[in-house]
Order: sequence, then structure tokens, then C-alpha cells
Amino acid sequence: MAANGNANYYDLYRHGSLGSTLTDALDDLIGAERMDPQLAMKVLMQFDRVITEALSEKVKARLTFKGSLDTYRFCDEVWTFLIKNVTFKMDGGQSVVTADKVKIVSCSAKRSDEK
Amino acid sequence: MSNNTVGTVYEHIINEVINAVRVDFEENGVDDSVLEELKKGWQHKLSQLNVAQFPWDPKPEAPPPAQTAQNAAAAVNAQAAAVQQPTANYTQSTLSPQTAAQPLSMPGGQPNGNGIAIKTEPALPNEPAIKQEPGTMQPMMHPAYPGNNAARGGMAAQRAAQAIASRYGPQAQASINAIHQQTQIPGQAPQQQPQQQQQQQQQQQVPNPHQQYQQNMAAQMQQRMAQQQQPGQQPQQQPPNQQNGLGGAQVDGPSDGFDGVLMRRDANGNPVEMGRVEIDNLLHAQLLERAKQREGGGLMLPLKEATKNRSHGTTAATKRSRVRGGPSQLDGNDDDDDDEFDEDAINSDLDDPEDERDDDDEEDEASGWIMLCLYDKVQRVKNKWKCTLKDGVLTVNGKEYVFHKANGEYEW
Repeated sequence: MAANGNANYYDLYRHGSLGSTLTDALDDLIGAERMDPQLAMKVLMQFDRVITEALSEKVKARLTFKGSLDTYRFCDEVWTFLIKNVTFKMDGGQSVVTADKVKIVSCSAKRSDEK
Repeated sequence: MSNNTVGTVYEHIINEVINAVRVDFEENGVDDSVLEELKKGWQHKLSQLNVAQFPWDPKPEAPPPAQTAQNAAAAVNAQAAAVQQPTANYTQSTLSPQTAAQPLSMPGGQPNGNGIAIKTEPALPNEPAIKQEPGTMQPMMHPAYPGNNAARGGMAAQRAAQAIASRYGPQAQASINAIHQQTQIPGQAPQQQPQQQQQQQQQQQVPNPHQQYQQNMAAQMQQRMAQQQQPGQQPQQQPPNQQNGLGGAQVDGPSDGFDGVLMRRDANGNPVEMGRVEIDNLLHAQLLERAKQREGGGLMLPLKEATKNRSHGTTAATKRSRVRGGPSQLDGNDDDDDDEFDEDAINSDLDDPEDERDDDDEEDEASGWIMLCLYDKVQRVKNKWKCTLKDGVLTVNGKEYVFHKANGEYEW
């Protein structure tokens, strides 16, 4: 997960539901030749910036989770964890979500703070 | 943190992104409607994932705006035709699209009854049109009648064309042109006559330069210009001659034309006109198809495929020249088939299973549940891990969550 060239925003979030749906929508328009791929790249770069800012400014929620770590990996400043039997606690423990396994892909917060 | 906030946060992000790229769209000359469509499509796809409750209602995408440039051009032509159309001049000397007065309706081409009334194809043989193109043989054979049915047909057709023009205005341009072209078609019909006879008749009936026999379009254009300069001298016998020139320039393509320039024959051997606009459209469609093939259809195209397609650009060009009648084919007949097979055959057979296997591995690892976030700290003491994460998106059990901060503890 390298930061893109435009600024120090990760394109990490493109792999989430919001990013993948945006990419799909852009693909549709490109396939219909309504716009060109360069413009789509600009849209995705804007998306990288906006979602990073929105998550840090608009979201206040906190979360704790526990589980057993199955695999860990640290490469190019990116942590990847595969955790099994995870329990997420949100809203101060009021709601609990469990999952058999979850993959965590995490980039360094410091680098994105350097913007 | 809860699933409830996701909808509002995502909506905020979508609006921010859309607003942020609006300038880029304008700079690229992309219409605002495309941006709106992008937003709609984005929201729609997100709703389909059903990962959270979203504030927007999924709406059907607006249909793309219709292309009107061609219609406008046709309208201009029609107006010009209405103005310039001389009543007495229904000779074929006015092949040009401006004088759309010419005879005989195209089958099915007429929106009103007038066109049908003047359908005189059976009578066509009367025309001095014994013109014969070696390449345009028709199954039926018409004897040459004496008489001037052609003149009557011309009058009727002209009246029909005027009626159409007055009733339907610009929209009728195509039909009028169709009528105009149809008169020429008879020239091709009575084919079986020997060439010498044709030439004799033409010499008798048509005071036209010999160049009309040439079958290339350049000659045709010259002739048309000459005729326009001296319209009075050109009697009705011209159509066959023009037809001769047209017949030589047959081009395969779709059958409904506007202002006819080229003629072709469809599967049944019926002559069909090819309009300029239609020819343009045909070429445009082919170009777009090529471009799309080369471009790969969108984002996220693997580099390997992208380069592969780009290399086909030259073969596409050579193929085009081949279609145009280029003399030599240095790269073989089946390039384009090969192009298509490339993607389905050897390479992809080798590549795709690997890709799928990779996907499967990913799938096995995470079952699609994934957390994308930033990390502040990751600490480990022996087999106990602690990490502090922030600004994350979590997808788990088909639901999506966002968080500002997360603490995780797990053992390895």
C-alpha cells in the first residue's frame, strides 16, 4: 500500500466497499466511453484524500477487538494481520460482533500525518 | 461506533468526492451529467452491497442524452432542398443532396402514402437505363421500353417529395433522398444487355462525357459538378449514367442512408443507398470499436493485457487498409481472429487459473471480512500483540463499520 503520487494519501481504502463501488462505477463510464481513464484516476485520488480526511474528522467511534493471531506480516510499512475468532466490541461494549476470521491491512498513521 | 453512522459518513464522502472532481470534469470537457451519473452509479452499487443503511434512494440511471448533431445537419440540408428545389428540373443532373426532388419512393422508406403511390419499379424498364455494371448484375431482366414513363415517374416523384418536405419538414430529408436515389436504381436493373448496346443507347440518349463510364467515385464527383453547372442540358436519360458511376462504388454497410452517395446491394440483391452520414457512422463505429479494443474497456486493466492490446493497434491499422482494398497483406489473413483468441486461448488459460488461485487464497485467509485502517502502534511481547489502529473501515458479517480508533489484543 504505497501512498499515491498526488499527496501522501493511501489508496488503501480503494479496496473497501466504498472504493470498489466507485471503481466499478468509473469503469462503467469508461466502458461506455463517457470519460477517459485519466479523469478516473483523478477521481480516485480525490477519493483517497476525502475518505482519509472524513474518517479522521467525521468519525468518533471507538472499537476494541480480541482474537487469536493466525498470521502477521510487515512489509513496506504495511501490517497485515489475519486474526481468527475475533470479537469486536463497539459503543463501549454495548454491541458485540464476532467473526471467524478477519484480515487487517494497516498502513502507518505517521506517514499519512505528514501530508 | 456503529453501523448507523456509516450511511451518513459515506454520503458525506461521496458528495465531497463528487464536488472535488467537478473542476476536473470541466477541465476535461466532460459533461456534468456524466458526473451525476457517476454519483448515481456509485450510490447504486453501494446500495446493492447492502453493507449499511444509506440515506439515498437508489435511482435508475438516466439514459444518455441522444446525439442530435446529425439530425441538425439533416435539417439544414432539408431546408436547403426546399428552397432550391426547382419545379421543372427533375432530371438526375441534380444528384447533389440539395435538390431532393427526385422520383420514386424507396420501399418502406415513406412515412406517408405519397411515396407508395409513385412506386414504379415495374415500369422502370422504360427508362433508357440499360446501363450495365459487370459487378451489379440483377436477377431480373427488363426489356427497354420506348416512351417516357420515366418522365411521368419523375413528375410524380417530385410531387411526392415536395409533399413530404412540406408535411414533415427536415425529418423527411432522408425519405426524399431515398426517393431521389430510387430513380437511379432502375438504371442498374436491366442488366443483361450487351455492353455495346448500352453504349450506343447512352450515346444516343445521353449527351454526357465519356468519363461517366468510369466506375470510380472521383469521376462521379466530377460529373456531378459538371451537371450542376449546366442543368438545362441534362435530360432524364442521365440517371443510368450516374448509376453506372455509382454502381462501381458499391460499399458494404447498413442499409438506411440519408443523402445517398454510394450504392450497395443487400442480401436479396436489392439496391440500397449509402448516405454520407451513414458511411461516416459506419467508419466511426468501426473506429470506436477498435479504440475500445485497444483501450481495454476501462480501469484496472492488468498491465500485461494493456500492452498486449496496444500491440494490436498496428494490426488493426493494417487490417483497415486491407479492407479499403490495400494491395498487400504482409501480416496474414487472420490477425483479428488471433487477437480475440489471444485473450481466450493460451495466455489466459495459463494466467487465469493462477489468478483465481490467488483469489482463493485471499478468500481462504479472510472470507472477505477485512479491516482497512492506519496503525499508530504495533507492539509485541512474546506471543501477545497489542496494536492501536485508527481511521478504519471494517467489513464483517456483511456489515460495514467505521471507527476513529481501535485497540486490538491478540495472541499468536
